Amino acid sequence: MNPVIEVRNLTKRYKDTLALDNVSFDIQKDTIYGFLGRNGAGKTTAMSILTAQNLPTSGQVRVFGENPYENARVLSRMCFVRESQKYPDDATPRHAFASARLFFPRWDQELADELIDEFQLPLKRTIKKLSRGQLSAVGVIIGLASRAEITFFDEPYLGLDAVARQIFYDRLLADYAEHPRTVLLSSHLIDEVSNLIERVLVIDAGRIIMDESTDDAREQATNVVGDAATIERALQGREVIHRESLGRVASITFLGRLDDAERAALTAAGLELAPVSLQQLIVRRTQQRTPHHDALAASDVTQEGVSR
Amino acid sequence: MTALDSGNVTRPAASHSRTLNVVRLQFVNTQTFIWVPALVLGGAWVVTMLIYWILQGAGVDDVKIGGGSQAPLWYFLAVGIQAMTMTFPFSQAMSLTRREFYIGSLAAAGVSGLGMAVVFVLLGLLERATDGYGMNGYFAYLEWVWEAGPLAAGLTYFVLTMFFFIIGFWSATIFKRFGTARLVMVLLGIGLVLVGLAALVTRQQAWPDVWSWFIDTGSLGLTLWAVLVSALLAAGSYLTLRTMPA
Repeated sequence: MNPVIEVRNLTKRYKDTLALDNVSFDIQKDTIYGFLGRNGAGKTTAMSILTAQNLPTSGQVRVFGENPYENARVLSRMCFVRESQKYPDDATPRHAFASARLFFPRWDQELADELIDEFQLPLKRTIKKLSRGQLSAVGVIIGLASRAEITFFDEPYLGLDAVARQIFYDRLLADYAEHPRTVLLSSHLIDEVSNLIERVLVIDAGRIIMDESTDDAREQATNVVGDAATIERALQGREVIHRESLGRVASITFLGRLDDAERAALTAAGLELAPVSLQQLIVRRTQQRTPHHDALAASDVTQEGVSR
Repeated sequence: MTALDSGNVTRPAASHSRTLNVVRLQFVNTQTFIWVPALVLGGAWVVTMLIYWILQGAGVDDVKIGGGSQAPLWYFLAVGIQAMTMTFPFSQAMSLTRREFYIGSLAAAGVSGLGMAVVFVLLGLLERATDGYGMNGYFAYLEWVWEAGPLAAGLTYFVLTMFFFIIGFWSATIFKRFGTARLVMVLLGIGLVLVGLAALVTRQQAWPDVWSWFIDTGSLGLTLWAVLVSALLAAGSYLTLRTMPA
């Protein structure tokens, strides 16, 4: 293990809210992370503190082994693309890229030019007159072309259409293959990025609730579809995290894996096994810890954690 | 495409070169620090000239002095505010430290202020040589400011430009860090202190002394006092900026 970021007991308190609650985690080198969680879960706060754009209330952050605060040596190796980035008044995308070129030592102008073409970004229009999607494209281009050793994308796709998002995913993967680096991608479109991310870091209400490889996360749960009564019998004792039914057919997601014998038994009973979508798993696990989720799911979810 | 295509860009390594690049960052958009101040200065000059010309045509031969040369100074108040509210968050996206951003921005304002001072001195010299463009009208050559010579006049103009920039930056830091209410309270507080001082002077019937102090201190002396106030505000802004979330 080779962590580029080490976070220990990080707490950030705003006036009346606890944005980060004694959080500890590591970020490994040259890995793409999905940094996932609901709005207000603490993602942006965490990324702001890691890039020294905000200060912690308590706790420790080490990036490349050093405190990033006012540390040019460390900061110059990072790039943080914010969803709501502000740009100087009257600045155009061209100004923004010319600036980025000044400060990111590994900036690739060729890549930037290609991306400008692909996103069809008008270079001479002032940034405040760009559409939401074009504004996002400016950030995405800076994030990709800067090739920083650690790049943070905070919901970078806002307003980008499906084609543009695909360009972003493809370009990120292609460039990552040639120039491995650490990427933290915060996103609400979990299934869209699930093939991209190697590890998931899920934050909920200021606490890390998942920190594992995407494959491990997927294998944590299994989905069974078939006759409701048959499933109920087969899954006795399992921790069910989601249940949907239509007439006599039910689709049930439960935590844990099946061994070969159990698998065979289920198939013999006429039940079908389906993979769990990462999005579904994370939604369910986040809902378990949230007291006010929708009533339909509430009646079915095991009560573990709800009373917290 | 010139800005993007232009070839070799220095690869930043040390922090001082990054700070120098902040100056370049501020000048990447030539509008803020070059063209608008030039336009304001040029515009104020043209308007002042037209007024002198009309007055001259109407037979007013007295010495004519306008306040137009202070117009660009007010613009620097706005530049200071924008440098804080808009460019600071962007500087953070460029992975700059607050120190690099702050020193670089002050330096950029300094470069602009220097340019303004040079233009101001050149205009003043021209006015002195031509007796106010032959119209006895003065834009830059204000006798009181020029008392200690062209260099001192240039210094005064430079310091005033920085003074306005720093006031703008300082008030924007207070606003961003503590909100509108606190900013208004601070400004009100300063106003009250000034009124209190005025009341004190009036009670002591010391106004003549105060005026003679201003006259004795002279333009250059007051400039040096402005340097002190600017330095205090600049230091205050920096301390606030150091802990401000982007």
